[in-house]
Amino acid sequence: MWTDQGATRRQILRSAVMASPLVAGIMQPMLARGSGNAPDALAPHAPHFTPKAKRVIFLFMTGGVSHVDTFDPKPKLTTDVGKEVKFDHPEIKDRPGYERIFLKKPQWAFRPDPKSGLPVSDLFPHVRGCMSDIALIRSMHTDHSNHYNATLGMHTGSFAFTRPSLGAWVSYGLGTENANLPSFVVIAPAQTYAGTQVYASDFLPGAHQGTLVVPGAEPVANVRPALPANRQQAQLRALERLDRRHLGNRDGDPALAARLRSFQTAFGMQMAVPDAFDLTRETDATLALYGMARGQTTGFGWQCLAARRLVERGVRFVELVDTGSSGNWDSHGDMMDHERLAKNVDQPIAGLLRDLKNRGMLDDTLVVWTTEFGRTPFNNTADAKGREHHNWAFSSWLAGAGVRGGTAYGATDEHGMRASEKKVHVHDFHATILHLMGFDHEKLTYRHGGRDYRLTDVRGEVARGVLA
Amino acid sequence: MNWSTCLSALAAFIFTGVLAMAGPAEEHFENLVRPLLAQQCQKCHGEKKQQGGLRLDSRQAILKGGDNGPAVVPGEPGSSLLIRAVSHSTELKMPAAKKLPPEQIVALERWVRDGAAWPGDGPPKAAFDSASIAKTLWSLRPVQPGAPPAVKNGAWSKTGLDRFILARLEKEGLAPVSDADRRTLLRRATLDLTGLPPTVDEIRLFLADTGPEAFAKVIDRLLASPRYGERWGRHWLDVARYADTAGDGADYPTPEAYRYRDWVIDAVQSDMPYDRFLREQIAGDLIPGRTGNDYAQGVIATGFLAVGKRYGYAPNPDFQHLDIADVIETVGRSVLGLGLGCARCHDHKYDPVSAADYYALYGIIQSTRIAFPGGEEMKRPVNLAPLVPPAEARRLEGEQALALAAARADLNSLQDERSRLDGSEWAGGPDLAFEGQTVGKAPGKPWLAMGANTVLAEAQSPFRHVHPAGKQGVRMAASQTNDGIRMALPRAVRKQPGGKIHLTIDFRTLAEPKEPGACRFYFGRGVIGSTAIDFSLSARQFAIRQAEGWKVIRTIEPGVWHTLSLALDPDKGSLEGVVGKPGDLAPVVGKILPNWDGVIDTFICDGLGHLPGKVCTHDLDNLGISTRAFGSPGGGPVVPSPVPADAAARLGQVDAQLGPAKKKADDLAARKPFAQAYAVAEGTPANARIQLRGEPDKLGDEVPRRFLEVLGGGKVAEGSGRRDLAQWLTSPANPLTARVMANRIWQWHFGQGLVATASDFGIRGEQPSHPGLLDWLTAQFIRSGWSLKAMHRLIMLSRVYQLGSDPSVDQQANDPGNRLLGHFQRRSLDAETLRDQMLFVAGSLDLTRPGRHPFPPEETWGYTIHNPFYAVYESSHRSLFLMIQRNRRHPYLALFDAADPNLSSAGRLPTITPTQALFLMNSPLVHQQSAAFAKRLLASPGDNLARVRLGMEMTSGHLPDAAGEHEALSFLAQSRQKLPAQATAPDQAEQQAWAALCRVLLISNPAMHLE
Repeated sequence: MWTDQGATRRQILRSAVMASPLVAGIMQPMLARGSGNAPDALAPHAPHFTPKAKRVIFLFMTGGVSHVDTFDPKPKLTTDVGKEVKFDHPEIKDRPGYERIFLKKPQWAFRPDPKSGLPVSDLFPHVRGCMSDIALIRSMHTDHSNHYNATLGMHTGSFAFTRPSLGAWVSYGLGTENANLPSFVVIAPAQTYAGTQVYASDFLPGAHQGTLVVPGAEPVANVRPALPANRQQAQLRALERLDRRHLGNRDGDPALAARLRSFQTAFGMQMAVPDAFDLTRETDATLALYGMARGQTTGFGWQCLAARRLVERGVRFVELVDTGSSGNWDSHGDMMDHERLAKNVDQPIAGLLRDLKNRGMLDDTLVVWTTEFGRTPFNNTADAKGREHHNWAFSSWLAGAGVRGGTAYGATDEHGMRASEKKVHVHDFHATILHLMGFDHEKLTYRHGGRDYRLTDVRGEVARGVLA
Repeated sequence: MNWSTCLSALAAFIFTGVLAMAGPAEEHFENLVRPLLAQQCQKCHGEKKQQGGLRLDSRQAILKGGDNGPAVVPGEPGSSLLIRAVSHSTELKMPAAKKLPPEQIVALERWVRDGAAWPGDGPPKAAFDSASIAKTLWSLRPVQPGAPPAVKNGAWSKTGLDRFILARLEKEGLAPVSDADRRTLLRRATLDLTGLPPTVDEIRLFLADTGPEAFAKVIDRLLASPRYGERWGRHWLDVARYADTAGDGADYPTPEAYRYRDWVIDAVQSDMPYDRFLREQIAGDLIPGRTGNDYAQGVIATGFLAVGKRYGYAPNPDFQHLDIADVIETVGRSVLGLGLGCARCHDHKYDPVSAADYYALYGIIQSTRIAFPGGEEMKRPVNLAPLVPPAEARRLEGEQALALAAARADLNSLQDERSRLDGSEWAGGPDLAFEGQTVGKAPGKPWLAMGANTVLAEAQSPFRHVHPAGKQGVRMAASQTNDGIRMALPRAVRKQPGGKIHLTIDFRTLAEPKEPGACRFYFGRGVIGSTAIDFSLSARQFAIRQAEGWKVIRTIEPGVWHTLSLALDPDKGSLEGVVGKPGDLAPVVGKILPNWDGVIDTFICDGLGHLPGKVCTHDLDNLGISTRAFGSPGGGPVVPSPVPADAAARLGQVDAQLGPAKKKADDLAARKPFAQAYAVAEGTPANARIQLRGEPDKLGDEVPRRFLEVLGGGKVAEGSGRRDLAQWLTSPANPLTARVMANRIWQWHFGQGLVATASDFGIRGEQPSHPGLLDWLTAQFIRSGWSLKAMHRLIMLSRVYQLGSDPSVDQQANDPGNRLLGHFQRRSLDAETLRDQMLFVAGSLDLTRPGRHPFPPEETWGYTIHNPFYAVYESSHRSLFLMIQRNRRHPYLALFDAADPNLSSAGRLPTITPTQALFLMNSPLVHQQSAAFAKRLLASPGDNLARVRLGMEMTSGHLPDAAGEHEALSFLAQSRQKLPAQATAPDQAEQQAWAALCRVLLISNPAMHLE
């Protein structure tokens, strides 16, 4: 892989976008000459082996979803409710009022999905119906029980330091299929823990950074034309003439050409972005799948449908964040809050899976559902209403391309305390996702500061049991 | 020895080798165990990876074991971790993915039982040898400046520097391009040294000056400009990972950080010698004999160590190792060009840095007190560094404390008087005895209640030693953990030197409860801000919380009123008092909780007591919190003072005085008696122990505080060792520091260093393209007295710096990366320069120094990871003065690839993206600046053609040719036509048409590049 300190020209070319018809005549020869063997950063390139998935929709539930109340049934937790347990748990260590802890029973009934037989709680009745397309991982675990560190870890593989995020790595590895849209889009109503770091490119070229879309009037910053189209076009033509004359005198520096081209792409984005987010031409039946009302421009249903439209248009990695750093799944006070949060996402997620399937897109689209950690199977009183942060075990799932649907992989112990069988660490989870994208996670590296960095640090094993 | 004896000796050796391993144990090992270990274990526990710190590829390594201790005890399979792990009989199950087949487990057991034989085993490959790595590393060799080489084209070189470049070009058969034209050169030099474009007047003057010294004069003028320190100071701020927030989960603001930023600007402007520049930043506070502003500047300079990314939530050691890691990594990268961070977890694989080296430096930083910015758990900054010497700081703090105590005493006596005059208030403060509350209801203001709490006559305490006889108390019925009552005292009680704080409350539990739980009495600041002390009451027990946990003090008799009477001694951190009833008083002794900040302004009674479960019903009354002692339990009844006759008139006077008295006390409390910096001070000197695999709870050997072995090691003379570190870093014996900086200076001029990896001079870094030149420059740098300005003159007066920026066809083919410097590398303006240029030509750039950012006042900070700090402050100052935030980056700075402040940054990595183009096309900033620029052009004398020429010259340094002029003029005409005629007045139309042209000029390639 190339380095971050190499030839300036190549480096700039890498971050440039695909040629636009206007300047193709200038760009193509330059790309050929200036770039040598180094590919354009966002030009589509092949992964290490034939991938199952060509794109990813990454659903991130912020705050810590309780595994024992959603995807990991623990009948023993119900029968042992109130039983005192002793654990050296990070969330109770030295915490006043938590000298003693007691098992707390799940608050929702689990029922099997008729097709796959996999039990899912009543928090996710719609997703339950899609379990035959889902490989559930019940043995997830992570390094940290703080939101900040765990969220950073789930996105970047690093629990403390800023590193490129999963989406940036995928963009770096695969490029984009649509020059008029970014390769990595994050749709989030609010920032999650750790802010922009969760979709940063860090030391990877900036072209791989996630573009933030906030549901609402202007989803992408500055995408709304500041001028009427005819005046803007006239200005861009004047700019092009000026830049071309400048370029011509300078023997066609590819960086200059790339800058010129970026305006043409941006001009296209002014239309492509609103078009991607224009849901008016979706049918009533489609809107109904996502549980949406016509005209709705926010909400998780909108996010899911927008995600489908983005991947349809060649965006490589779309992350949907359901809430933000507050008002999320962090139900310390009362687990009943999970009901509101599940209701917000359940039907949209099922709708997305069904919609992708109906369109044949689930065959080469990977859908990932996860959170940063689980919630404790215990609390400091038997009748406490909430649950605390729990990094020893949680549930995540994969669906779609290359995934063995209808399976539950790994397990936790009888009370859901620890991942006990076929444990899947965050690094393993990342390795598995990259594998489905056609990458050997140990070989998708980038030289920075004298070291070859990779998403999975020095760890990571592909969880082969979830592969089809 | 001839060949035949040699061969027979070899045969004998092999033969004895075979014989030696022919025993059954050895055979067993070779046949079954060695392959098993290789196939099943060594992928994770071998030469490449050592998970858990464990290697299973030699007997010695196995006996030594990993983090969990020895893997095998020969002869004792039962005590051998390896056997327990493979049997999956304990928590540690290996291999984790799949248990070994039973026959393999049996084989391993037998091998251990038979003594764990391992034929031919020596120690594993020598792990780490910094000296041998150092020998192979070019950057550690002494600086050896040779004379500039001979060149064929002797006339071409202007300086010795040029001969290094030319010699290499000649060797590769390449020719340099011709010189840049004078307009290009002036724009290059001006942007390079000041980050702003030349003005039209400056261009005229330079073009008019045809003397041989013209360009040298320009350089001197630019180096004297205050804009120079801002531009080149910003380069160092990239390396120093400068930001205005801490980057912890809640991203706390660091309002004092700007002092360090400004110090860097001033130091660079004044051409402070680079070795001193570094020493100040490492240990400026420790330079003896300094007073006044000199002392303050030295302290501020150490902000370099403090302004890094933080990981903690409170000023405690939990995340300290990561904060220290940031400091060590930054010092290594920025000063030495070595990545020291890897050695946090293991001896560096490539570079001559061992884990012992790392923890030697760790000890130095750990012995340093680093300012804490505030964080989720402790929402206020502490340990900021005073800008006066320690003795002076103590004196001023003492004076301030006295003044504050006096002001608070005045305030207290006024408030006391008011309580006496105002019948609605009771002794001890406003309604601490529930007398103002409505019977039958939950306590209302100033109380806050949740759950079944009722004010009742039968909940009145019988005791009279604190408050006058009352008629009611509060009954708290059996309740949930989070139910309870809370009072925010209108008058916070604070620790005073030599003073005590007195607490009292009466209580009883009712009936024999089924409920097992306990309620808690909390005294502290805020709801969970800072606990002074907690007590707990269950049906039959009374307990106190101490740092080590709850401690039951006495039994409680249900139905009987008890009183707690307590004095806290904040000076000693201790407390003593009694609990019980007159005649049956048990002593209470203990310690105030360790993290208390000295303020009690909140009392809470809730269900978080020492026993879980439903809390029993209990009554409370007669709360008292005061700096004055209350009566003793069983002592004489408190009688309300008679209300004086002139109460109403006096009340008016008191109220009039209360406001100013409160303001005086608050102002004194908020004011620091001296200015402070976000910097460091000496802490407690102590060596660190190696943290195995970087985990702070897995400690290995202690390492004395010292420098890297490969750079001489050394020994700390006194204190933390920062003064020694400052000397070691800048010692003439250390070849890295000057080399790294000489290369950075080169990089900041040319866009690319002679060593392309400017912060990595280690084995994995790039080799220098011109090693001779780098050493020559380094020697010049040292000889000049480590002067940056001397280096600027040296470099900029060279011919290489003054070359044109278009590569020849040969260069494009043979040196596409321009490593040989046959031409000057054109580059995009960086984020700061792009914005500054826009504001500058538009006439809107404010060139004053803005000082501190308009952060919200510290007393309002409540940032958490759920609600982190975030702000973008509008500014018309230079971009280096924008507020730089770590976790959510400034949208403009992030978009245009400004340095990411989370790490020391070796150089900008510019990208060209359509989202940048969207910003340039549609953002309010570009539209505002183009409108202002248009106004400025329209106000200039001359016709439209003159204005077009002026606009181009201001933005690009060049004049348009005839075709360019024509295009601009026709674009103006076209723009006027495109405007909706009826809606636009003629002067507005003119302004808008010019604004359109200005926008094109500002975002055009000629404006956006330095050539």
